[in-house]
Amino acid sequence: MTMPMLLRGEIRKITTTKLPWTFLAVLVVIAALNAAIVAFGTEADGSKAFVATAADQQSLMAFAFNAMMGTSLFGAIAVAREYGHDTVVPMFLTSPNRTRAVLAQLAAILLAGAALAAAGQALIIAAVATALPQTPYGFLMSPGDVVQLLASATLAGAVGAVLGAGLAAVIRNVGGAVTAALLALFVIPPLAAQLISSAGSWIPTTLSGVIAGVGTDVSLWAALMAFVAWAVIPAAAGLIAVHRRDVT
Amino acid sequence: MYALEFENVTKRYGHEVVLDDLTFIVRPGVVTGFLGPNGAGKSTAMKILLDLAKAERGHATIGGTRYREMPDPAGAVGVVLEPNAFHPGRSGRNHLRILADGAGIDPGRITELLEAVELTQAADRHVGGYSLGMRQRLGLAAALLGDPPVLVLDEPGNGLDPQGIHWLRDLLRERAAAGGTVFVSSHLLAEVEHLADEIVVINHGRLVTTGALSTLQKIGTAVRTDAPDRLTQLVSAAGGTVDTGVEGELVVRGFGMAEIGDLACAAGIALHELAPQAGSLEELFIAWTHDDNSTAEDGPAEVGARTDKQGALL
Repeated sequence: MTMPMLLRGEIRKITTTKLPWTFLAVLVVIAALNAAIVAFGTEADGSKAFVATAADQQSLMAFAFNAMMGTSLFGAIAVAREYGHDTVVPMFLTSPNRTRAVLAQLAAILLAGAALAAAGQALIIAAVATALPQTPYGFLMSPGDVVQLLASATLAGAVGAVLGAGLAAVIRNVGGAVTAALLALFVIPPLAAQLISSAGSWIPTTLSGVIAGVGTDVSLWAALMAFVAWAVIPAAAGLIAVHRRDVT
Repeated sequence: MYALEFENVTKRYGHEVVLDDLTFIVRPGVVTGFLGPNGAGKSTAMKILLDLAKAERGHATIGGTRYREMPDPAGAVGVVLEPNAFHPGRSGRNHLRILADGAGIDPGRITELLEAVELTQAADRHVGGYSLGMRQRLGLAAALLGDPPVLVLDEPGNGLDPQGIHWLRDLLRERAAAGGTVFVSSHLLAEVEHLADEIVVINHGRLVTTGALSTLQKIGTAVRTDAPDRLTQLVSAAGGTVDTGVEGELVVRGFGMAEIGDLACAAGIALHELAPQAGSLEELFIAWTHDDNSTAEDGPAEVGARTDKQGALL
């Protein structure tokens, strides 16, 4: 079995269930809500100052952290279900080389997470762009800003999906994996930032702001490296767990 | 031609010994039934063979090679292990497509196999709506996808209707006749009796007996005497086993006819009948796996040999 063959099988696994389409439907709803906020929302003084500048619009549309959160749940559910339904058994029978099988699974989840996040960001940009003519301000972001938003959301989606998948490979239970993903993104980072002030620069919310161009806590390259580490560490933990345990 | 070899396989879950020094061979060209009570370790043994579980000691090979070292495992070994290893929201056809994609198998096989297992009409329905028998058929289709020379099937007849059982029996016999290796665990003893040429019986993770079913079924001697209690005590003390047959005769296992005659003669017991006795697989299975835990305390059984409850080789 070659890696492309395994990856093809894993991608088909994802596309032949309702899970990605459900997440896509949620993204459509989120984009519509963003459009509604732009069209009908106002500041306390009744103005539309929250979309008055390119930076305001970029900040409003920045979807990276939300993408990471959403795809972490996607990755956690997709992989934990494999264990719950024992469909990992045929996976490891097809590829008894567990490293290769898990890497193919993670790669498929990464691609799906990236695609979902990119779609979500594109939908939000399109929805907000559609709603902006109803305000005194037009679409002010440059093409470069748009590309940065799309790239950051895509990366965040990939990182989130792999983070969730890695945790699910360790925990092997949908409820537990989803809880772990939420703890990893919402509870542990703020706690760490409170305990060690410098840790605040390296938590997903801060890092996603930097790569989306709406934050400057650390350099872009440092943010990229740290962001990827949020995926690599749980993925490595999942791989080790799969190697150590029997498939039962 | 792939023989399956288990060599001194030992597996523990915590302090519980699930497989204990298990050694036997499954030959190609015959159907081998794998029998044992619930919890005997059959599924664990199969998982170790397929590298889904790790043995603490010993190893299992397919054609002399570990499963994980086979160049094309999906093309060499067809497996049915878990009856519900399907995503309920995925169609049967897509389940097979995923396996074909991963193993690089011609997708044309999918339609062919769906027809063979009579699932064509239900192929595009979600597996969650399938009956147990339909899921079992889908599992068999998955096992046959790569047209493998080796079949390792855990309870493949579960949930199948009589036509399905008949189809499965013919299929496995055909595969074995063509030189394939067919290793089937089952609780349906009557079915195994119809299907298997050879059997492997385990209990408490240890080998109880293995060999040709027809030979094993003849291992036993019907004895009639007017001193059945004394003869029973005598044979038991010497390490044999004694059961009561359907017509009230004693069925002695563990000794040949001459040895039984000698024992009786030395004790001054008159024998009225001494004849080879063929037992049903069910009778034999119950005798072999009668749970007195003594097998777990004795030494390991030898390949191709039969041990009785006290561990004496027959």
